[in-house]
Amino acid sequence: MVFSSLYFLFLYLPIVLLVYYITPLKWRNLWLLVVNLIFYGWGEPKYILLMIFTIVLDYFCGLIVARRKLQGDDKGARTAVAVALVLNLAILFFFKYWDLVATTFQHFGVGMPVLNLTLPIGISFYTFQTMTYPVDIYRGDAEVQKSIVSFGTFVTLFPQLIAGPIIKYKELADQMTYRTHSPEQFASGVQVFVVGLAKKVLLANNIGKLWDVYLALPTDQLTVSGAWLGVVAFSLQLYFDFSGYSDMAVGLGRMLGFEFLRNFNYPYISKSVTEFWRRWHISLGSWFREYLYIPLGGNRVKKPRLFFNLLVVWAATGIWHGASWNFLIWGLYFAALIILEKAFLGKLLEKCPAVVQHIYTLFLVLVSWAIFAVEDFGHMGVYLSAMFGFAPAGLASPSVAYYFTSFLPMLIIGAVAATPLATKLWKKLPEKPMKVVLPVVLLAGLILSTAYLVDATYNPFLYFRF
Amino acid sequence: MSKKYCIFISALFCAFIGLFLVANAATPSREFSEMENRNLEQMPKLSVDSLLSGQFMKDFETYTTDQFVGRDGWIALKSTTERLLGKKENNNVYFCDQDTLITRFDQPDAAKVTENLNYVSTFAENAGIPVTFSLIPTQACIWADRLPDGAPNASQTGLLDQAKAAVPGATWADLYSPLWEHKDESIFYRTDHHWTSLGAYYGYTGLADALGYTPVPLDAYTETVRSTEFYGTVFSSSGVRWVSPDTITTYVPDTGITVTSYTYDSNGNPVEVPRALYDESYLSVKDKYSMFLGGNQSLGVVKTPNTDKPKLLIIRDSYADSLVPFLTPHFSEIHLIDLRYYKLSIADYIQQNGIDQALVLYSIPNFCTDTNLFWLTR
Repeated sequence: MVFSSLYFLFLYLPIVLLVYYITPLKWRNLWLLVVNLIFYGWGEPKYILLMIFTIVLDYFCGLIVARRKLQGDDKGARTAVAVALVLNLAILFFFKYWDLVATTFQHFGVGMPVLNLTLPIGISFYTFQTMTYPVDIYRGDAEVQKSIVSFGTFVTLFPQLIAGPIIKYKELADQMTYRTHSPEQFASGVQVFVVGLAKKVLLANNIGKLWDVYLALPTDQLTVSGAWLGVVAFSLQLYFDFSGYSDMAVGLGRMLGFEFLRNFNYPYISKSVTEFWRRWHISLGSWFREYLYIPLGGNRVKKPRLFFNLLVVWAATGIWHGASWNFLIWGLYFAALIILEKAFLGKLLEKCPAVVQHIYTLFLVLVSWAIFAVEDFGHMGVYLSAMFGFAPAGLASPSVAYYFTSFLPMLIIGAVAATPLATKLWKKLPEKPMKVVLPVVLLAGLILSTAYLVDATYNPFLYFRF
Repeated sequence: MSKKYCIFISALFCAFIGLFLVANAATPSREFSEMENRNLEQMPKLSVDSLLSGQFMKDFETYTTDQFVGRDGWIALKSTTERLLGKKENNNVYFCDQDTLITRFDQPDAAKVTENLNYVSTFAENAGIPVTFSLIPTQACIWADRLPDGAPNASQTGLLDQAKAAVPGATWADLYSPLWEHKDESIFYRTDHHWTSLGAYYGYTGLADALGYTPVPLDAYTETVRSTEFYGTVFSSSGVRWVSPDTITTYVPDTGITVTSYTYDSNGNPVEVPRALYDESYLSVKDKYSMFLGGNQSLGVVKTPNTDKPKLLIIRDSYADSLVPFLTPHFSEIHLIDLRYYKLSIADYIQQNGIDQALVLYSIPNFCTDTNLFWLTR
């Protein structure tokens, strides 16, 4: 199930909230577990069994890790952690990467069957989430969860099950057992949720149509200006789609008494690629830092080893985004840039005027989106060379002018909404007028989003590859 | 913010989602949308199979969207917002000059076009009677000057050249030239994808040489206004609600003409349903174009008082419905076959009914996407 749908907003959500709040506190996790599984199984009901298997597996691994630790058996505890990690990664590999490896091997003449399995929705998000559990227990960052219902609720928690943010167990451990519910928290959840919904339905879907035009354009019709217009549209679509989903997750979480960390912090105002990744998909970066980069030695190692660590982390980050080699290249592209910035470029950049730093960052990020969004290598080559001035159909065409003028207001709204400007102005508003404006804005957001969902000709789910 | 105010905000949100939950549950499902001219999805049947396969969920999603309370109003709100945001199209329909809505025409699938042309070519060679072939260029081509500046628009004239060359066994009739010559007249509806009776008349003049008749001059007829309140299919799909309605007129009187539609009842027995050249009952519903011959039918036979004239078979789409009145002075019988519904041998039909000549006539967009032309070769 996805948030940006009428049946979620006007059937699932009101029923979930109503029953949740009339249920006694101690039964609330059970109710959540039930509705989480419905949410998860909506598209592919058979995979509920896979989910239950994952829950049971990690639940028992956690118990074993905790018991071995208590007995002072460090080796036994580590083994249990390793078993949990290997099994989780094996499931992820089987469902997500098997076909990629198989087709690649076939390419080199090695026979390996292609399975064409449907990717279980959100598998990359929740697998990463559950893997933190045994590790956090082993590290002593969290207590073992005795209740399988509470643990299952953590693994399947519907607000962030399918598109993040990726929550570490230690961040949520206490909230699984005890959380407060207040009108303040609920009201703030409502605001964040409606902002997220509007970002997804009104901005991302709308601007995304422009990207789809250029992605589908036969390569011989590609122009320089068209290629840039397309990739700018994709950059805004992906940001509003992804951060919109994260906002909706945070908002829904608050309505149910949970607090999740923010996942995006205006990435497009960054002054370096390194900074961009501190602001983009924060929960994924933080996961890789804590569970891969630091265990590898982090930056407290010699330079060559540091660069190796960065390469490993960014290769993993890249391929996490989808089972296709372009995502690996996309990750390595960022590895190269971040290594360069660590080596000397960062210091050089700091001496430049801010505008140069912004242009530098946006340019490199836009190029990265072309690698990310165009999966076919031949197509990607043409697209990138078009961006760099070598376009099959020249600089511009009447249709570029048509699309540019008809999407210009949307692009301007999108560009402004990608900066903290609106939030800053909102905070400056005195309380009295704000109290009047807020319900109007919320209702306008809800009404317009509903209209766009009723007449939805274009409402993609971008993370089906993740 | 005070606790009270937070309760107010929370309640506002819950009231909004709760209100529509109740409203959707309380309003009965609609079978058919007049505005969109299509059947709406009904509540899917719940079964273990449909649940396990996920089919129930898929249908249920369509159901909730189709049956959402106030659906037509939401659609209008979206298209209005799109226009305010500077968009020049919505749901594949361009907002054009002169109060006109025009469906986008994108480059069709070349393989499909070639395949369809091959079916027509095979038919023309094996029909055993003279075959005329023609395609009708649409608004996006003839009225291209009304489109927004630079709006992407695939060439229809290129397709006409290709079609003419691909079917050597048939006589090609050029409908582009007469339509283009009169492009400043109301030859198409502004809110519907069809041509008007006037446009059909110019089409009729374009077919004259190939079908072998001398066209009746237009001023020999009196124009009759049938409706001034027509909103067509493009209006429906665009969601646009700010254009003025179209006018439907007719020229040819229907005296002495009978129309019979051949179909099957629910038990599979053949039945004959009387129809009319102009069925005015359709003028009181949304789908007013169906006034011409009573709308879609598998097989229709139009009989005229001119019993000494030849018999014509038209393999066609709905554009032919408003063309047929002009053809009635020149033929004794006009047989209309719609391949979307008619699945029997065309060759047999020609033999059994003593057809003298055949016309294959489609609008370009319909021809390029049609998936039933292979029935021509059966």
